[in-house]
Amino acid sequence: MPKHEEDRILREWTPILLRSILIVAMLVLGAGLVLTYTFAPDYYVERYQAAQHGHLIGKETIGRLFDGVRQGNPHAVLTIGLFVLTLVPLARVAFCFVLFIRERDYTYVALTAYVLAGLIVGVLVGNVG
Amino acid sequence: MLEILIYLLALAVGAGFIGAISGLGGGVFIVPGLVILAHMPMKVAVGASLISVVATSAGASVAFVRDGWTNLKVAMVLECATVTGAVIGAYLAGVVPTVVLELLFAAMMLQSAYFSMTRRGDDILTRGDPLAERLELSGEVPDLSGNTVHYEVVNVPQGGALMVVAGLMSGLLGIGSGALKVTAMDYIMHLPLKVSSATSNFMIGVTAGAGALVFLARGDVATTIAAPVAIGVTAGALAGSRVLPHLRVESLRTVFVIILLLIAAEMGWRALSGI
Repeated sequence: MPKHEEDRILREWTPILLRSILIVAMLVLGAGLVLTYTFAPDYYVERYQAAQHGHLIGKETIGRLFDGVRQGNPHAVLTIGLFVLTLVPLARVAFCFVLFIRERDYTYVALTAYVLAGLIVGVLVGNVG
Repeated sequence: MLEILIYLLALAVGAGFIGAISGLGGGVFIVPGLVILAHMPMKVAVGASLISVVATSAGASVAFVRDGWTNLKVAMVLECATVTGAVIGAYLAGVVPTVVLELLFAAMMLQSAYFSMTRRGDDILTRGDPLAERLELSGEVPDLSGNTVHYEVVNVPQGGALMVVAGLMSGLLGIGSGALKVTAMDYIMHLPLKVSSATSNFMIGVTAGAGALVFLARGDVATTIAAPVAIGVTAGALAGSRVLPHLRVESLRTVFVIILLLIAAEMGWRALSGI
């Protein structure tokens, strides 16, 4: 694939990818807030005040979060929305990684693989930290 | 609940708006906003800010990438440095005492204020160094008359070293460290200022994303705070970027510097007096 073609694909698809995931994340977060306002306004105030004292809910497993979403738990919906938001950079780097593999540009395959690994290490560090 | 929600949204819209028109990003304003005005602990503010910074970076990058201002290869090379710093920084944020975080925040505000005061014109190079050439980091930008100007890049390792620091500060303090990133690219690597700003904004997504993932996985994000803040900052940043072309940003520079100095003084005072 010629260099300008690779550049064209990156410039055309990166904004689409960024915007799409951002819109999905904003919709999930908005839905989570509407859900909270409708069904659990007291819970919101309680969590806000707890946060002011540094008390957070703590670690949640992905399985429990999805169970929470099925039951309409506002905290679970909001957390999923925030996770979707953090997927924006992850998806963008993964897209570049695949493109560079296709183009056999191994220097950039290595660089994007390092960044992807860094993002994944972030999750692991958070889980053990 | 509605009052709190409106308060947080207004705070975040304001932070996103000022962050966009000053070019410093929303994090610089949302962290002190949450700490000083919403009485949140530093750690809660940092977690919420990191996530909202991912959103503003993505929102603003759409136009910059499409229009060719972002140097994607420079971003990918330097992201290796920022992601390393960000993961270490976010891990340390869980163990470093709040007083140290507040003092570091004050120091970063002073650096941003200094950066805002001393921004200078472009110094475009026509010859890059061998490493930059091997990584194909050169690019092209339109000048004022509409012609295309080719620029080369130098000092990649030195720029990368400063990027590790920028990532570290981002993970520790919940900010995009845009001022440090632009300093590295503009002053050290000699990219044109607008390319530096667009590329910095693009990279901030990965830097803040790495930190945000550490916070989220650790359960250190107050979802009830982070959700409205992310929505508000994004809306504020989008409004700011729409208004930006019609503003005389040069005349607002003094206002930004005063705001940054006030934040530095307030955060420094909080740290020293143990509030």
